[in-house]
Amino acid sequence: MRYSTNMVPFHITFRAGVSLFEQVVYASEKAMVSGQLRPGDPFPSVRTLSKELKINPNTAHKIVAHLVNEGLLETRPGIGTVVAVLPDSSSKQRTQLLGHEIEELVVEAKRLGIELAEVLSSISAQWQNLGGDKQTRAQALADKPMDGGSKEQ
Amino acid sequence: MNSIIHTENFSKRFGHTDAVDGVDLAVPEGAIYALVGPNGAGKTTLIKMLMNIIRPTAGSAQVLGVDSSKLTGKAFERIGYVSENQELPEGMTVGGMLDYFRGFYPTWDRVLESQLVRQFDLPLARKLKHLSRGMKMKAAFASSLAYRPSLIVLDEPFSGLDPLVRDELIEGLIELAPETTIFISSHDLAEIESFSSHVGYLEEGWLLFSEEMSALSERFREVTVTLANPAPLPTELPASWLQPQTADCVLRFVHSDYDEKATARQVAERFPSARDISYDPMSLRSIFLAIAKAGRNHSSSAQNQTSAKEAVA
Repeated sequence: MRYSTNMVPFHITFRAGVSLFEQVVYASEKAMVSGQLRPGDPFPSVRTLSKELKINPNTAHKIVAHLVNEGLLETRPGIGTVVAVLPDSSSKQRTQLLGHEIEELVVEAKRLGIELAEVLSSISAQWQNLGGDKQTRAQALADKPMDGGSKEQ
Repeated sequence: MNSIIHTENFSKRFGHTDAVDGVDLAVPEGAIYALVGPNGAGKTTLIKMLMNIIRPTAGSAQVLGVDSSKLTGKAFERIGYVSENQELPEGMTVGGMLDYFRGFYPTWDRVLESQLVRQFDLPLARKLKHLSRGMKMKAAFASSLAYRPSLIVLDEPFSGLDPLVRDELIEGLIELAPETTIFISSHDLAEIESFSSHVGYLEEGWLLFSEEMSALSERFREVTVTLANPAPLPTELPASWLQPQTADCVLRFVHSDYDEKATARQVAERFPSARDISYDPMSLRSIFLAIAKAGRNHSSSAQNQTSAKEAVA
């Protein structure tokens, strides 16, 4: 354990029309895959989330419970909630992502008349943005104890 | 879940005006209930009746299990009430006021009191009459939160305050939730929507709807239907389809009773030749506007209010 957190360690600007629950869950997941939050990092408590983001405590509770349930957070007695080691996605989750959500993306792209090459290059740019391929991330995690938690961004 | 506030046909008539007209609402325990509506909708009247400051002309309300017309000093040990124009003992210092109020409340929590004083940055030695509006409101909040009431009733607490003070007050409220049930009125949806769990909309004295925030966003969608050929606006649309409009091949309306499967079936049956149908989630603000407009259309077309309520509920 490093320190407990009294702030929300990721950036979020609320948008209208999307539920707060979805937005905060998404921002947390993004912070985790991009390496802004790493395994073992403290995650804000329900109270902190609620107070800092000015959201209802029940919503904050649902967010934390959801992330724990998804295996992204784990609760450690006496310490609080910390970021879990990201699980390897199950084959079911992969099929879901590669089926349904990719289909949505393709439909949207075709509807807007975007070329396949453009879509691919956008995906690849976004991929790099969020910390490169899986190998790099695993490497970064392995390196973490040695660099003593130095700031990288 | 127990209702902390429960009203039945709660009404107040001033002369020939129905300020509050047959309001039925329930606030479950632990909720942060936002009563939203334009100025003059009857919010303050409703709250004053709940607090037994004025008497209803019809109907009744239970507050913490007690009939609102029987609420007395003892019950107010468990209720915190702050109104927009809160009267405070102006001649007292902030510290003097806290000392004074402390004696009235058996559940007064000194630790919470000092925490609130620190959090709100309250100047204990200054007289209340020398404080800014925001600082006065913070002092009023501190003296109403420090005894950890079971119910906090706030009438337009944020109006005229800068966003910084507003955020501080909200943090103070969240500190007590969900052990404390909070009932808060506002004419501005944006200032309360993020932290409320339930919302009711009052207009011209009647409650257009009252429900859980998440349920509300679930059941409203803006539906856009693209038809193969230009067509006039169909007549006899279902009552739950609000604000239908057309332009050439596009028909748009607000569905107030959306269900993924049922709605898709319903819309497809109605428009078998549609080229594209999209269902877009709406911001709370647009939901409120759609409901308010639907309410007005119904009352202006001389139908009774019940049918307008049915259309949106």
